[in-house]
Amino acid sequence: MINDIRVGALIASSSIKRGNKKTLMFIVFVLSLIFMNLVFLPSMIGGMMVLFTGYMQDYPFGDVVIEPSGDNTYINNADSVLQKVRAVEGVRAATKRLDVGASIEHKQNVVGVTVTGLLPTEEYEISRYPYIISEGDFLGDLSRDEIIIGAAIAGTSPVFGEIYDDLGEVRAGSLVEVTYSNGVKRTYKVKGIMEGTFELVDLNALVHYKEIEDVYGLEGSKATSVVVRVDKQGTEEQVQDKIREAGVNEQVFTWADKSETLIKQAMQSMGAIDAMSKFVSLIVGAALILIIIYINVLHRKKEIGILKAVGITPRSIVLSYAFLSMFYVSLGILAGLVLYLSLMLYFQANPVIFYETMEIRPVIDPMLLIQSMVTMLTLSVIAGTLPAWSVSKESILKAIWGR
Amino acid sequence: MIIVKNLKRYYGTGETAVKALRGVSFEIKKGEFVAIVGASGSGKTTLLRILALLDDATEGEYTIRGLQVSSLPEAERSYYRLTQVGYIFQDYALINEMSAAENVYVLSMMEGKSKKESYETALEALDRVGLKGKHNRIPDELSGGEKQRVAIARAIAKKPDILFADEPCANLDTTNSRQVLDVFKELNEKYGQTIVMVTHESWHIEYVDRVITLEDGILISDERINEKEVNKK
Repeated sequence: MINDIRVGALIASSSIKRGNKKTLMFIVFVLSLIFMNLVFLPSMIGGMMVLFTGYMQDYPFGDVVIEPSGDNTYINNADSVLQKVRAVEGVRAATKRLDVGASIEHKQNVVGVTVTGLLPTEEYEISRYPYIISEGDFLGDLSRDEIIIGAAIAGTSPVFGEIYDDLGEVRAGSLVEVTYSNGVKRTYKVKGIMEGTFELVDLNALVHYKEIEDVYGLEGSKATSVVVRVDKQGTEEQVQDKIREAGVNEQVFTWADKSETLIKQAMQSMGAIDAMSKFVSLIVGAALILIIIYINVLHRKKEIGILKAVGITPRSIVLSYAFLSMFYVSLGILAGLVLYLSLMLYFQANPVIFYETMEIRPVIDPMLLIQSMVTMLTLSVIAGTLPAWSVSKESILKAIWGR
Repeated sequence: MIIVKNLKRYYGTGETAVKALRGVSFEIKKGEFVAIVGASGSGKTTLLRILALLDDATEGEYTIRGLQVSSLPEAERSYYRLTQVGYIFQDYALINEMSAAENVYVLSMMEGKSKKESYETALEALDRVGLKGKHNRIPDELSGGEKQRVAIARAIAKKPDILFADEPCANLDTTNSRQVLDVFKELNEKYGQTIVMVTHESWHIEYVDRVITLEDGILISDERINEKEVNKK
């Protein structure tokens, strides 16, 4: 076997050394594009994931979120939960929220929304809500008859304007009537319009926590969620464990747990496209490698016959094509990597703009790169050896003289 | 050394079968330089390919040193071709992307010799055929005669029992043909190399010891030209 490998390597290296360089360059170029195709789209999707998960952390879930256990609607005694959570090492800040369903009406325009009741001063440490007010101001501690509404509801969003129903140009200072899910109606002055270029934010409305308590007649510091931010990114799971250990009996999730459900659902269709694209790339890649090697083999059928005639084993011949094909693909991967990294650099500096304001920067996933390399190399061995194996099984006379 | 008994080779079956060899028998002793001659289509190349284990006989027996080589499985035939038999093709049959030395030493490497040893063997063989200093040239950089000498070097580097040559001068002019035949003559006389050569040029006969003539697949004459001491085997 070792002799077969040595001879196979010698035949392959001579072919590379003295073969047609232009053909080699063309093959490598095409293979590099196949590699690019395998890794580029997933990187873009990865970039979208990062963007969306970032939104999830910055708005609804924080780093860790505590939700009611079992079928309970509310966390009972959220203040006690908060006290325990704030005492946990690694927790930077925590707050409670109340999410309820409602409809908002303005000049006969009505839209359905989720209204979040929050403690305005605590939100500065927790979310980006206070920092995305495009018009007017954020809520204050005394904001009991005031509301912040998302730009998509207000009708001022350049991004979602044509997608969702809105209230028709509500401005800061406008009056809106909110009908809560329990039938209670309240009139609020719009204190500010928030614009996060994210549907879960821009289709939302914010009021003071006490307002929801009052509307629903809640007592004993109830909450639909307790949102927690950690000191150091990456420690969410440890903090999650510590919160449980601190005696919090509600459901404790990290942002990743929540994103997995939400984002995965959202990304399912993207994932299908990604999988399809990968599959097609692999098929095209395998077919191309097969065609390249097959043409090469046909072109050198006589040589294969000669090699057999002088005593070179079929195994050596097949191995030589395996080496050759691995060499082509390795160079293709290398060129593809250079191309890919160049594009990554370009898109880091010039991100893809989504919905006019969302900047998507592709993410480099080393596992994906390794997986794609291994797949292409495996394919190259299969695609490279099959035609050579088939010709090497032919009789010497047929290979050399065609009969 | 070589015993051929009633060797037949038919292509196709039934009435349309082409009978390239119709029952050929002869013996070749070690150290002989034999020419197989005959008109085109007489079966001489078919016979040589069978003797060199590149093709199978339809019927008949063929032994080398008492071993029934015609019935060997392909893996053993391949090993036999590598170690015992040298074959020189009419059109040189060199690997175009390999240098002269690589064309020769690839076989030594296949035999398991180290790269260094294989390279030295190749240089020695190339020297013997008068190609000293041209070992790094690829076939496209060599003349027809030089290419054929590389093919000869490839065949003799492994020191085979028998050297088969299929019209080795067919593509060469007279000068180059003489150079090639001189190499054969030297190998035969100096090293006792057994050579079986197919040719259609009458003047080549002056180089050989014996001439076997085929006509329509039948041996019609077996004539000794030069008497010399040959090892009986």
